[in-house]
Amino acid sequence: MRGYRVSRWLLALLGIGVLMLLVPAQESIHKARPRLFDPNRKTRTTSGLELGPTPAVIASLGGFRTVAADLLWMRMERVWDTGNWWALLPLLDAVTQLDPNFILAWKVYGWHCAYNMNAESETLLDRKYWLDRGLEILRRAVDVNPKSWEMVFELGWTYYDRAHQPYRAAEYVRQADELPGAPSYVTRMRYRVYEHIMDFDRLFPELRYALSRHKDDHAHQKLVKRDLEWWSKVRDDPREHRRQITIENTARQQRALPFWLFPDDPYWVVCPYDGLPSKKGSKVCQACGRPLPASPAGPTSEPLLPG
Amino acid sequence: MPVLSRLIPVLGVIVVATVVVLTRGAWLPAIGHALPAIWRIAKVTVAEARRRRVVQAVIILVAVILFSPTFFSYRSPYEQARTLISGGLAAIMVFGILLAIFVAAFLIPHEIETRTVYAVLAKPVRRFEFVLGKYLGALIILGVIVAVMTGVLVLVLVLQDKIVHDLPDSAFNPNLGPVLFAAAMNYCALAVLTGLIILISTVASTTMTVVSAFIIWAIGSGQTFFHDLAERASGASRVLLLVLYTIVPKLENFDFRNEASNFMSMSYVSGWHAVLQGIGYTFVVLLVAALFFNDRQV
Repeated sequence: MRGYRVSRWLLALLGIGVLMLLVPAQESIHKARPRLFDPNRKTRTTSGLELGPTPAVIASLGGFRTVAADLLWMRMERVWDTGNWWALLPLLDAVTQLDPNFILAWKVYGWHCAYNMNAESETLLDRKYWLDRGLEILRRAVDVNPKSWEMVFELGWTYYDRAHQPYRAAEYVRQADELPGAPSYVTRMRYRVYEHIMDFDRLFPELRYALSRHKDDHAHQKLVKRDLEWWSKVRDDPREHRRQITIENTARQQRALPFWLFPDDPYWVVCPYDGLPSKKGSKVCQACGRPLPASPAGPTSEPLLPG
Repeated sequence: MPVLSRLIPVLGVIVVATVVVLTRGAWLPAIGHALPAIWRIAKVTVAEARRRRVVQAVIILVAVILFSPTFFSYRSPYEQARTLISGGLAAIMVFGILLAIFVAAFLIPHEIETRTVYAVLAKPVRRFEFVLGKYLGALIILGVIVAVMTGVLVLVLVLQDKIVHDLPDSAFNPNLGPVLFAAAMNYCALAVLTGLIILISTVASTTMTVVSAFIIWAIGSGQTFFHDLAERASGASRVLLLVLYTIVPKLENFDFRNEASNFMSMSYVSGWHAVLQGIGYTFVVLLVAALFFNDRQV
């Protein structure tokens, strides 16, 4: 009997010893999966509990967040068909909270705010709010999914196409292009962001870089060569400059964004009131007749050069 | 703290080595006797489960997985693949957990209630062999069930991959390697949970065991929640939360379903670490279960 008692205590000691041995294994799991366990990770279960909707709380406890996200996503598709765009927002928010790695959900959420809600808005303040919110959502998505070229490219594209902030767009497009799996159109986007603003100092190096990439992709090579030839030919063509200025500022007007003033353009001076080009040296805008400023400095939607 | 965290495993090695050396006279002969006895009890457990028609539950799930592609055929190929993988793996986990709870919770209490345990223990079978045999039997049942369900899921994914036409911006990706890995990790989580259920069943009634098992599953699935709370807390509450975090089964370590359904890269190394951690944890749990069952008046 004495021997039995001793062995029982020894067994208890053995159990404690094994538990102590498990500590480094758990630590290495934490290090290997920072997305899930890092104390500084972008998605915390606690934030879901504090801020999230009821499904997030329920699902996070059950370990079935992905399935819950899928069910809400299907619900979102049904609501989409009803045309009730406001009702989509809490659903999309819940889906992205439940499954922060659901790329398509993030893309739709950001796009819905930056495009649909922005277009539906009736005041400039509302438009700005929805555009900023869409960009903020996409930035959050990139924080959570920094290795997804799709997510980073989506943010870059929204900066380019919706916010018309080409230099910020260029940063994200470059990041997306450097991530594994990025297709050739992401590489071509690296120079496209500079086309409408005619930043030739950046456009031509990026064109040459694009030509050096995807050597086996004949379509890519053909497109980049075509663009390189085109821009080499029209770089100093005033008519092309005028065309690009009109394209860029018409798009900005449609989006209710400040005009791009093309301060260094050698042929044209841009009217800050209608965004249209007049010949260099003109005192008044040839379209609206208002006096043109002597200095080309004026409102643009971002600093002319990245910080 | 880093010094302490390095010291803990070193102390663990010393303690384990000491105990193993001190008790070598006892466990070396015990293993020779125990293995055949454990295997016999495991076989009986599997036979009992077959009589209880546990397989019927699997058939229901298999049918659900088989027909599920038709539910989502209106969606894009990417969404179809994602939903099938996440839904399939979650279904395997849900049914696995339900089966683990309802198989393991009844194993020992049922033997005691029907008094068949007396007949077993009257034979040259030690109590710890009985507990380990029951656990091994439950593992075999769960292994077969998870393997069948995973096989059906893989079959459905392969067939869908042939049927669904990929679109320029959306492709059906069956993601078979990660799916198999996630399913295997599901099984490891079930193995850990089953060990804990066996432990509870050695001291509690069947109803209590079932209720406790569901609570443990919920707590184990929220280990990061306790980890986050412990990181933010200070003083006594931090110590308490760290103890709680150490005790709860870390089921989230085995959860790779999100990575598989989002086509993300898998951390296979952390998977193996999780398995090692699970083995150690289950060893301790079964050790305590054997000690409790030894002291139980049966």
